[in-house]
Amino acid sequence: MSLHRIYSIIIVFACTVQSALFAAPTVEEGKNLFIANCASCHNKNMKDNLTGPALGGTEERWAAFPREDLYKWIRNSQALIATGHPRATELWNKWKPTQMNSFNNLTNDQIESTLLYINDVANKKPVAAVATGTDTAATGTKEGSNTWLFIGLALILGLLAFSLMRIVNNLNNINRVRQGETPVNRTLAQTFTAPGTIAFLVFAATLVFGYKTVDNAARMGREQNYQPDQPIAFSHKIHAGLNKVDCNYCHDSARRSKHSGIPGASTCMNCHAAIKVGSKGGTAELSKIFASIGFDPITSKYIDDYENWDDAKIEALYKKWIGQEYMAAKSLTAMDDAGRLTVQTQWDGIVKALKEDSNGKIQGPIEWVRIHNLADHAYFNHAQHVAVGQIECQKCHGPIQEMEVVYQYSTLGMGWCINCHRETEVKFADNDYYKQYEQYHDELKAGSREKVTVEDVGGLECQKCHY
Amino acid sequence: MLHDNGIWVGTEDLKREEAFLQSASQEFSLDNIDQTDGNWTTNRRDFLKLLGFGLGAATVAASCEIPLRRAVPYVSKPDTIVPGVANYYASSFVNGGDYCPILVKTREGRPIKIEGNSLSSITNGGTSARAQALVLSLYDSSRIKSAGIIEEGQVTEITWTDLDKAVKGALAQGGVRILTQTNLSPTAKKTLEEFKAKYPDTQVVVYDPVSSAALLTANEQAFGVRALPSYRFDKADLIVSFNADFLGSWISPVEYAAAYAQKRKMRKASKGEMSRHYQVESHMSLTGSNADNRILVKPSEQGAAICALYNEIAALSGNAGIGGPKVNDKAATGLKKVAKELYAAQGKSLVISGSNNVAEQLLVNKINAMLGNLNETVDFGTLSYQRQGNEQDVMRLIDDMNGGRVNTVIVHNANPAYDLPNAAKFAEAFAKVKTRVSCSTILDETTVLCTHTAPAHHLLESWGDAEAKEGHYSMIQPTIAPLFNTRQAELSLLEWSESANLNREDDQPYYQYLKAHWSSELFAKQSKYNSPTAFWDMGLHDGILETGNEGRTVAFNAATALDAGAVTKPASNEVEISFYETVNIGNGQYAHNPWLQEMPDPVLRTVWGNYLSIPVEWDGVNNIDGWKGLLDGDHVEVTVNGITQKCTVVKTFGQMPGTVAIGLGQGRTSGGCGVDYGVNVNPWLPVQNGLVQYHADNATVSDKVGEEKMLASVQYHHTMGVQAEGKEEGKIINADEKALGWKGFQGSLTERSIIFQANLSELPELKEKMTEFHAHSEHLNEQTMYPDRSDWYENGPKWGMYIDLNACIGCGACQVACVSENNVPVVGKNEVARHHEMTWLRIDRYFYGDLENPRVVYQPMMCQHCDNAPCENVCPVNATNHSKEGINQMAYNRCIGTRYCANNCPYKVRRFNWLDYTTADTWPGNEERVFHANDNMPFYADNLVRMVMNPDVTVRSRGVIEKCSLCVQRIQEGKLTAKKEKRPIEDNDVRTACQTACPTGAIVFGNVNNPDSTVNKAKNGALDYKVLEEINVRPIVDYSAKVRNSNEALFS
Repeated sequence: MSLHRIYSIIIVFACTVQSALFAAPTVEEGKNLFIANCASCHNKNMKDNLTGPALGGTEERWAAFPREDLYKWIRNSQALIATGHPRATELWNKWKPTQMNSFNNLTNDQIESTLLYINDVANKKPVAAVATGTDTAATGTKEGSNTWLFIGLALILGLLAFSLMRIVNNLNNINRVRQGETPVNRTLAQTFTAPGTIAFLVFAATLVFGYKTVDNAARMGREQNYQPDQPIAFSHKIHAGLNKVDCNYCHDSARRSKHSGIPGASTCMNCHAAIKVGSKGGTAELSKIFASIGFDPITSKYIDDYENWDDAKIEALYKKWIGQEYMAAKSLTAMDDAGRLTVQTQWDGIVKALKEDSNGKIQGPIEWVRIHNLADHAYFNHAQHVAVGQIECQKCHGPIQEMEVVYQYSTLGMGWCINCHRETEVKFADNDYYKQYEQYHDELKAGSREKVTVEDVGGLECQKCHY
Repeated sequence: MLHDNGIWVGTEDLKREEAFLQSASQEFSLDNIDQTDGNWTTNRRDFLKLLGFGLGAATVAASCEIPLRRAVPYVSKPDTIVPGVANYYASSFVNGGDYCPILVKTREGRPIKIEGNSLSSITNGGTSARAQALVLSLYDSSRIKSAGIIEEGQVTEITWTDLDKAVKGALAQGGVRILTQTNLSPTAKKTLEEFKAKYPDTQVVVYDPVSSAALLTANEQAFGVRALPSYRFDKADLIVSFNADFLGSWISPVEYAAAYAQKRKMRKASKGEMSRHYQVESHMSLTGSNADNRILVKPSEQGAAICALYNEIAALSGNAGIGGPKVNDKAATGLKKVAKELYAAQGKSLVISGSNNVAEQLLVNKINAMLGNLNETVDFGTLSYQRQGNEQDVMRLIDDMNGGRVNTVIVHNANPAYDLPNAAKFAEAFAKVKTRVSCSTILDETTVLCTHTAPAHHLLESWGDAEAKEGHYSMIQPTIAPLFNTRQAELSLLEWSESANLNREDDQPYYQYLKAHWSSELFAKQSKYNSPTAFWDMGLHDGILETGNEGRTVAFNAATALDAGAVTKPASNEVEISFYETVNIGNGQYAHNPWLQEMPDPVLRTVWGNYLSIPVEWDGVNNIDGWKGLLDGDHVEVTVNGITQKCTVVKTFGQMPGTVAIGLGQGRTSGGCGVDYGVNVNPWLPVQNGLVQYHADNATVSDKVGEEKMLASVQYHHTMGVQAEGKEEGKIINADEKALGWKGFQGSLTERSIIFQANLSELPELKEKMTEFHAHSEHLNEQTMYPDRSDWYENGPKWGMYIDLNACIGCGACQVACVSENNVPVVGKNEVARHHEMTWLRIDRYFYGDLENPRVVYQPMMCQHCDNAPCENVCPVNATNHSKEGINQMAYNRCIGTRYCANNCPYKVRRFNWLDYTTADTWPGNEERVFHANDNMPFYADNLVRMVMNPDVTVRSRGVIEKCSLCVQRIQEGKLTAKKEKRPIEDNDVRTACQTACPTGAIVFGNVNNPDSTVNKAKNGALDYKVLEEINVRPIVDYSAKVRNSNEALFS
């Protein structure tokens, strides 16, 4: 190693130490802070409003005031509003009653980091923002298929077998001639009806059909690629892909429970109390959520006695809302025929999604169609895989961030489970639970063991999944 | 010739009867199966047809469209519920005086399991079988579903408003009686006060299904307190109980068992410190079976026995004797020695009696006073309120009703038309009352006779509180929204009394009422919490509030008249009968709970009914038979007080000659699944001075008049280590080897080790014997065909269990807990008779010692998870195999039902699903009508019942084997918790259902690879053993030897 390299390493090291000590604002830190604190209310693209306003251009908008005011605003907006700060009052008048959470523990540097990140994203070109995140799972399909290689190999072997057969036949005939017998020249028909051939064919057929029968029997009840229609055309592509909402935000019990959990309408409303018209479905899909939970999108208030509302009342409200939004979108002052049709169609959609289910009422839960149905005798625990194993959701559920309509990506068959347990490494090092596997730790230290897989800690035993 | 190898199960076992050997050698009986009956004659062609159809149907079914399954989320998800994660709520199991603080496990809002609340200093987290079975009674489809009018036993639904109007109208006419059991709730008592204030002409009549009225009266007379003391079994070195079944059913068995076991555990015994327990009784009760010595007296001699002890102690302590009737000579000899021991253990002994005779209870009180036990082991510093009833009040009520002085009766939590001795008289008088309101949850015998039903919530749907003992408060909180249109009984009372303290606008008015009461009354009694809100919140969280109390002392009132003339007089009749409260059914309060009905009686080992215990007679040489030559299952006609009923006989060791006994609580005629099992013995109970007596001296028992075809007794089911007579040489050889046809095969000459027992005085000898035995077994086991797996378990946890047979009292709480935790199906009486019971954990009961008055040892037996498991080798499809954590795993979906494993299991702990008990498969022909042939659907087909299922355990279908899994779902859950928290696994992370249920801490479970685990610490070296240690299967369950502290020279 040259002196030059050592020198540069020392410099890099020194810089790292320095940055750790003085923690100057960085975009990277800002990103983490933004995701942890802001992303549940503020849009990640910094351009569109969500529960809270778009943050792009914040610094410019606050440029007229001391920097300290912006800090105060971010730490505790209500306090600043109370002082009668002009910018704060302006924002409050625009956004009330929605209040911003307080972040009293943020340091000035942390706020600066966040602002850096906000500027960074806001100034990026839109194409780049869309492209990230969608290009992860596309690899792997292009890996050259071996089918032609196998066909070629089979042909060559077939030819070889055929020639060998001819040779054996010829040698036999030569032998016969030598012993004074007449050579046997079987016709093709004779060859095919010979007992040996028939026996071979029967044997082969039994083998092939037997294999196929067992294989198909094992597939019975498997539902790979199952992609049913859902009561709401919810798009994971928009939520998980485009907007990068964390899977755990909606499926919050995946970390703590065996079930990943289907979010309740109340979870949807965390964002959709603000985003009342969808980018793709308009009012058609989101109104279903409002009608399920009893949210009046016109006044942005929850309806107190929604349980007791009759269908006519509900219909009037949401038809009014849909019509109003239709006219606003088209800048109409009076309803047209197409609008009336839209209103009726969307209302019919609400009725179909909510009323035609087991409780027979508009009010009440959205009954989704369950896609992943594990056999009853198999126990699966999301928390074990998500929280302990730290497995990516996509590993089993596929490129969910690209799915407009979700389908079952994996077979959910036992072979598939077992295979993964054989290959997957246990997060051994940083979990004290695994301390008791002393032998493995020793072997890892001594270098006689490369890794500890799930299989090594009993992951293939029957009663890990069947009890 | 008797083949007494020191330990036995029953007379047939002792005599090696052919029928017994057959029963014992055939794990699955073919008796009672009429194979030609019905339309199940299947020949080859039918078989092929069915096979073809099955294949075709499966193909068609599989190729159809995927069935639409829904995933339904919450609309607004509650913060407290995470689907898939259990929530526990602190509550209390209260039924009259039965009390146990509990935690209710709920999943997605469904209560599915009961655990003990270890914060309670009364039970320390123990439970009883009755408490464990509470969840099933919630999901009882025979519950009354709305308010209604009852006409000819039929409920016509009306609205609560209409009912309130009708009841209030009736109440306004005065002459009101409220009939109820012991009431532990301070808040409920306040509602009664409000009610009485509104309707001054109201009397509250309290009685208990099994009465302790005499004890209360005696305490009142002797000590001036009409309540029960705290009996301190944990402080008593010597316990003498006159027919009080304090471990099974008397007053507060969970509390007493926990305290009793503290002085009995192997840890204590191995140091030579152990309490001594004498039981004076005629019928082998659960408590008697645990006693060190039993002194047999006839039921009518109870008074005489108490007098005898009194006189001896009086003589020793220089007090005046009392005279009184004479007890039998043998008992007199024994009691004389007992008295000396008692006198030597002054202040550290305890004498109790289950009698319902005031004079006898007064004598017992005086005995305790003479022994200096007052304020020591008989502690009035903390009163117990667990019995408050007095049936004399009910007798008065009957007079009042007959006299037309009563216009309205409200019956709450009582069933007098069934459990009173004079129920018929009660019913007759009851009919004269104009308005009869029942708050019962089911249509029981009394409710049928009522005019209105105001069904109460089930306990698990109710708010409430309980003060079982002075200063020990506990909370009752609902764990599920009411399943039916019912209303809390206390709320009904408040509604009817038009209470001003009730906030009717509130969603849960009684909750507010209760909270207000706690804040105003109980908050001031404690100093732990500063604000009423914090106090209430912690009360809800802990479920327990212990405020302490004044700590009074009492002295025996010298003016109390002791009258030996008023005690029970010995009778000279040929046969006497006693009636006892069973551990599981009580006096019928629990008869409609299938889990309790199918829990075998600890001593009789029978299920689904009550059976007449008759003595066994030994001719002193080699013949031992039932009294009158009766066999188990014979029908006899029993006449008491002129009433004749047909009973089924069970020969019972330890039953005193000249006496018979039968349990209370069966023979129900209305209310639920317990109808039509056994006989109702309540009409037989005599009443003396208005007090119910639980024995009668004028019984006659006929000869055999018939026999029970389906005798549901499990005593010879799943026997192990049976010996039999070899045909050729007449020697006793091991029955298993006989079947094998080998002689001289390894192990065949050894005695099979199931139970080791000794008296405390012989402890060194026992230790020596067991050390020798361990060495011998180890020697035998060296020659092994099993692969060496010594390094198999080195990595990660290895699970193990320790069972202290000294602490095990046989109460059955673990068995019901196991059924509840693991979705073990109820199979019904007939299936039990066919050896088809499904319980994963059975409690084997063995006798040893004196043939006429033997001792008992209970052995909880479940899958032993052998390291060298014989079941695993014989499974053709590898459905059962071993995990590296030491668990013998069972994969149901792999099992094809050959039952080879069950056959090869030396412990007989594997259970086969002969029928589709749980209705888990799709062929209705396999299902069983569990309770009655005309039930309109199988038990588990009812969706309401299925709500009790544990969603973490597979529901097994027909044709597969199942067995104890060491609660693997709990192991997995505990491991996951530790992993998520990134910490090593601890003992408390995993506790099996049987372990948590046990009131005495007899079962310990844990990681044997951790040297500091409680399971390793509980072990006692040479005094522990593994059952059938010599056969080299290497089980992971260790048992302790049974040690008794008997007085071997008691009768000499």
